[in-house]
Amino acid sequence: MKDTDRYRRFGGLAVALLFGTFFSLFTVVPGSFGETAKPALSNQERLHLGEQMYREGLLPSGEPMRAYVKGDLPVPGTAFTCVSCHLRSGLGSVEGGVFTPPTNGDKLFQPFQLLFKGLEQKYFPLPPRRPAYNDETLAEVIRSGATPTGKALNDVMPRYLLDDGDMALLIYYLKELSAHYSPGVTTTALHFATVITDEVSPEDRNAMLAPLELYISIKNNQAKAYKTQGNRSRQMAENMLVSKELATRNLTLSRWVLKGPPDTWRKQLEDYNRKEPVFALLGGISYGDWKPIHDFSEQNHIPCLFPMTNLPVISETDWYTLYPSKGYYQEGETAARYLHAGGALPKGASVVQIVRDSPEGRALAAGFRQTWLDSGHPAPKTVTLKAGQAINGNVLRQAVTKKKPRVIMVWDGGEAVPALQAFAASGSRPALLFVSARYLGKNLWTLPDQIRPFTYITYPYTFSLNVTYSSMGSATLQDDQQKTLSQANILIKNKAQEMASLGDTLTQILTMALMDLKGNYYRDNLLDVIGMIADQPSSVFGRLSFGPGQRYASKGCNIVKLTKGLTPELVKQSDWVIH
Amino acid sequence: MPRPTLISSFALSVLLLILTLQPAVAETKYQRTIENYTIPDVVLVNQSGAKVRFRELMQSNKPVIVDFIFGTCTTICPILSVSFANLQQKLGPDSRKVQLVSISIDPEHDSPKVMKEYLKRYRAKPGWDFLTGSRADIDKVMYAFNAYIPNKMSHFPLTLIRLNKEGNKWVRIFGLMGSSEFMDECRKVGIQ
Repeated sequence: MKDTDRYRRFGGLAVALLFGTFFSLFTVVPGSFGETAKPALSNQERLHLGEQMYREGLLPSGEPMRAYVKGDLPVPGTAFTCVSCHLRSGLGSVEGGVFTPPTNGDKLFQPFQLLFKGLEQKYFPLPPRRPAYNDETLAEVIRSGATPTGKALNDVMPRYLLDDGDMALLIYYLKELSAHYSPGVTTTALHFATVITDEVSPEDRNAMLAPLELYISIKNNQAKAYKTQGNRSRQMAENMLVSKELATRNLTLSRWVLKGPPDTWRKQLEDYNRKEPVFALLGGISYGDWKPIHDFSEQNHIPCLFPMTNLPVISETDWYTLYPSKGYYQEGETAARYLHAGGALPKGASVVQIVRDSPEGRALAAGFRQTWLDSGHPAPKTVTLKAGQAINGNVLRQAVTKKKPRVIMVWDGGEAVPALQAFAASGSRPALLFVSARYLGKNLWTLPDQIRPFTYITYPYTFSLNVTYSSMGSATLQDDQQKTLSQANILIKNKAQEMASLGDTLTQILTMALMDLKGNYYRDNLLDVIGMIADQPSSVFGRLSFGPGQRYASKGCNIVKLTKGLTPELVKQSDWVIH
Repeated sequence: MPRPTLISSFALSVLLLILTLQPAVAETKYQRTIENYTIPDVVLVNQSGAKVRFRELMQSNKPVIVDFIFGTCTTICPILSVSFANLQQKLGPDSRKVQLVSISIDPEHDSPKVMKEYLKRYRAKPGWDFLTGSRADIDKVMYAFNAYIPNKMSHFPLTLIRLNKEGNKWVRIFGLMGSSEFMDECRKVGIQ
């Protein structure tokens, strides 16, 4: 495609007038009379091709875009995509002192304002002011870096070598990118919801919601107070906030309770969303698999922040759900990382996973298996314990006798603990036994004394008794340096406390993100700004870290052993395992 | 925990306003200094999952160039990495002649898998290693090169070119270089 939209439209009209209906069929490519006509692209196709250029750096031909940075560094567009600096929403970023201005539809085609008292000033370092772009000046700045004011953009902005047709596609995409506020945003409110499945206990539900609802009520009371005529605090707020309208905007939080079996959840979610569209989902709890809710978010492009689930969807590319961690999968992953890094395992030594056929067991086994394979090891052997099949010494001994493994994973719940005694006898003793602290629950503390010396426990929580909370800004986080932990000293005692703590962290993140949106209420921008948030302390996981496109905030897990006796301690076997 | 409210955001905004009074256009010229560093004896992990004795790598017989990046970084790291890729391109089949080392400042996320994919994106050839490690070890490396940042999001562009085999004398380049500037710096230490 070689011509701009305008030319195509008017050219087409002229040809149609001149040559009548028959030739009008060929007007999609003006001036193509006598040439082979190309079919017109639908708007959706143009958007798709523009998006491919913006996000992946690929031309419609499939070839990488070509560009130069720093004056003379030739780069393929795939290494230097638009999205890598301007981010998915197009609202830009500030990193390492380099300011990347917004390139979304709403901002490009109006003057870039930097009024100090007129409240528009939102950026640091200060970008230059400029008039509104049009198609021609925008094409020019993308190609040469020359702005309409005659200035040159910072030379970290690549200069892209695009022909007219490809440029038109990119500009078409930019015009549509973050051009209209997302659903769930009104002039007076931002609407949110939290998804809770009906098996969740009132304790857990209230624990998660308490910090969020408290924050929202404080915020709304403040907004209400600001609405009174001539309120001076509001004037101050509006002058200070990077998004003036946030001062008087209300937040709402609906409870979307899902009833019945998981295969009916999708319809319930779609119904809720149709009745009251939301900007994003906050928190949420399910004891089961989060996948139906994940898929709903992903396909409707609705961010879901910090759902409290240990059974998240594991994906490297999905965008819309930000999980506190990978849950059980992460523990399996950790067992594989620890075993691989330890190097204690003789080459080719056999590993057997004894796996309860439950969502928890499957997630643990999947995390181990995938990471083990990625590290270059042969697939572990798997013995599946059907739901309801009691685990006993015979089952375990059989697995050991038949497969003669050096390493055994028992991915089962607390009821497996008495049976583990079978490994105490020297004949059936593996070199290493792995179990999951989260899956064993409180039974962890009752592991048979004899097996404790060779039992390695995946423990996903922090040992640190002094988690420092930052307020608003970034803070240097203390690492989890404590080596041992007794049951009495565990910071989070039960599931409800875990929910409360994660709910608190979510509230903290939300507060920062709402301001970082700078009045740009686009769902992708919400995830973009969270990707730029500094690491946060957590009394559950120690450190939560974010980053562009990162979707699991806690990245590691501990490997611990239990000391002998009635009042045992957990003893760390290494640093926080991340690789 | 002090609960964040909009009120507390005012303080931040005031600070922002004060900051914005300074000239704030991104510095385009880089600063070049000669520094003395002591390389820590830590074991890091490379993109293949192999353990690497960091001090040995830094004292390699080949010229060594170091930068600090992370896998999901937006603006700075792609530029630093394009410079590395470009140097390797110019070295052609001799890419192993120079030891390029990128050190992760996001060890939590940068697993060997993430690092391998990152290098692939920049068409890295043998001779360019991306290292991660425990946070404590990565902190030691950052401190050793006077490059410590408490948080990856507040990082800055830094390139370090080794001047002697012992690894205690380095050219420190703060800022982003163009390709010819980077090549000039390489030539100054004998990399052709």
